Amino acid sequence: MSVTGRVVIVGVSTHWGSELARKLTDEPGVTEIIGIDTAPPKAGLDKVRFVEADIRNPVISKILPSLKPDVVVHCGIVLYPDEDRPSRALHDINVIGTLQLLAACERVEGLRAIVARGSAAIYGSAPGAPAFFTEDMARQLPLVTRFQRDVGELEGYFDNFARRHPGVTCCMLRFQTEVGPGLDNPFVRYLTLPVVPTQLGFDPRLQLLHPVDATGALAAATMNPVSGPVNVAPDGAISLSRLLKLSGRMAVGMPPLVAGTLFRRVGSMLGSGAMSEDGLFLLRYGRGCDNRRLREEVGYELAFDSEGTARDFAASRHGMSVLFPSPHPGSPVRSLGR
Amino acid sequence: MSDQWPPVDSGLELEWVETVQKTIERVLRRMAGEYHEDEYGFDEEFAETVFPIWEFLYRHWWRVEVDGVSNVPGHGRALLVANHSGTIFPFDAIMMGTAIQKEHPLPRWTRALVLNWAFDLPFVSYFIRRIGGVSANPANLGRLLGQDEPVMVFPEGAKGFGKPFAERYRVQRFGRGGFVEVALETGSPIIPVAVVGAEEIYPKLGESRALARLTGAPYVPVTPLFPMLGPLGLLPLPSRWRIEFLEPIDLSGYGPGASEDRSLVFDLSEQIREMVQEAVYRGLVKRGAAFF
Repeated sequence: MSVTGRVVIVGVSTHWGSELARKLTDEPGVTEIIGIDTAPPKAGLDKVRFVEADIRNPVISKILPSLKPDVVVHCGIVLYPDEDRPSRALHDINVIGTLQLLAACERVEGLRAIVARGSAAIYGSAPGAPAFFTEDMARQLPLVTRFQRDVGELEGYFDNFARRHPGVTCCMLRFQTEVGPGLDNPFVRYLTLPVVPTQLGFDPRLQLLHPVDATGALAAATMNPVSGPVNVAPDGAISLSRLLKLSGRMAVGMPPLVAGTLFRRVGSMLGSGAMSEDGLFLLRYGRGCDNRRLREEVGYELAFDSEGTARDFAASRHGMSVLFPSPHPGSPVRSLGR
Repeated sequence: MSDQWPPVDSGLELEWVETVQKTIERVLRRMAGEYHEDEYGFDEEFAETVFPIWEFLYRHWWRVEVDGVSNVPGHGRALLVANHSGTIFPFDAIMMGTAIQKEHPLPRWTRALVLNWAFDLPFVSYFIRRIGGVSANPANLGRLLGQDEPVMVFPEGAKGFGKPFAERYRVQRFGRGGFVEVALETGSPIIPVAVVGAEEIYPKLGESRALARLTGAPYVPVTPLFPMLGPLGLLPLPSRWRIEFLEPIDLSGYGPGASEDRSLVFDLSEQIREMVQEAVYRGLVKRGAAFF
């Protein structure tokens, strides 16, 4: 597909929505970019036409068809709970929002593809899990956390839509954890704590996705969508202990009885509400995803592997010692100053 | 005394100083995170560091004798299928790996598929991963073989590992034959292996249901020393060992669709089980007395 045409980015004011919009402005195949969100994007995206709408509201079914998109990119799925958005609110945004958006897409004539920015959390984290999940293993382990069930449900609606509309390419991207300089998500905030609590005796294998690849893969999938789920994960894996050593962080192992309650507290320190069950499992058992589909079918060449991302992150943090932790919201240093 | 430091006149002392220097350098480098891990979490440097322990157990504690180690291919994929025993700690896998490292003309590290439950244990989980253990999963086996790695599997699983002492050396049912399926799919040769001696290291006399419930373990064995003597009970008894690597079985003649044929898979699985059982009996006769 050389000419992509008109692209509608839903959730354009989110970090990844804006990044995608910026990336797509240079693409010759894209004739027009329209952004939909509840609030205008923070950074100036002058070539993007902004439409204010809420995907949780049925009015979206009237707005979307009038924009006549060729490709709809759904960046409005929230992958982490926030302080002001507990996991209950996530259900509304993620599941109901996606359902409304898909209903609106049914009315769009000439729609060629829907691309959604989903999460690899659907695979879960378990002691006996495969070292690398392939796309067909999504429901191999039971969906145990609330967020996992939400992702499972919205992927179910997505599959359903794909079955009923064989003419529309439905591409569900499953993103691993993004880690990078200048990025703000609960995992990055966790890594920048002055002393990082870990679960004693466990050293999870993690895959760290570089922001460059997160945006790049999203843009590549928009330009060349393929049917079905696609893992967006870097090559290789790195253990949490090595990641912390590389970035010069002090780790303190917490015995299992303390770890459970403490980690939930840490979550609220990180400004992410209580640390989600997903985070707890991820930091115990880790998770790896196979990225062959992304490389071979979508045709995206990843710039960083897991170790490269860790090193890049560590380099950006160089010189930030225990004395100067980042003043992110909820940082213990900031709360001391209050 | 000379003014130079380290003193040049004593070769022995110099060597000692160098060893300490190198060790400190390595520890510092590792503390900075500068070491290599592969995508499964295998850490070769760590495996090399603990290798002397296995070497000691291999040579002096269990006096392992090895037959047919050259049956293991020196390169390319290979699936080693062995009987399982040991009750508390899977030393059989470690000794097989040590045998390949020490006796094979082309030594290499061998991965092992490990019972999933082990990955739920603090410390044990990452120790196992660092020395080359991977959770027992057909996807992992297929991926490793596809990357031309040698992999050990123990299809008896917990049934073989935790059987009572009275049933020693009776090879149990080989699971569902999943390893044959993967070998057929990936075209990997199967090398049956018989390990004799690991049954005597922790003779399992009974098991404690209460402790198993408390810890969530599949079973908690009672041996003459464990758990009565506490951590000291984890000391394995110095039995004599014999490991026999049988000739590789080439499955490439069956063609690509063969893994779908359930009865073929079960037949092959049962044939391999019988070969291992025969080799175990043969090895028992050759070994003679268990301890001296």
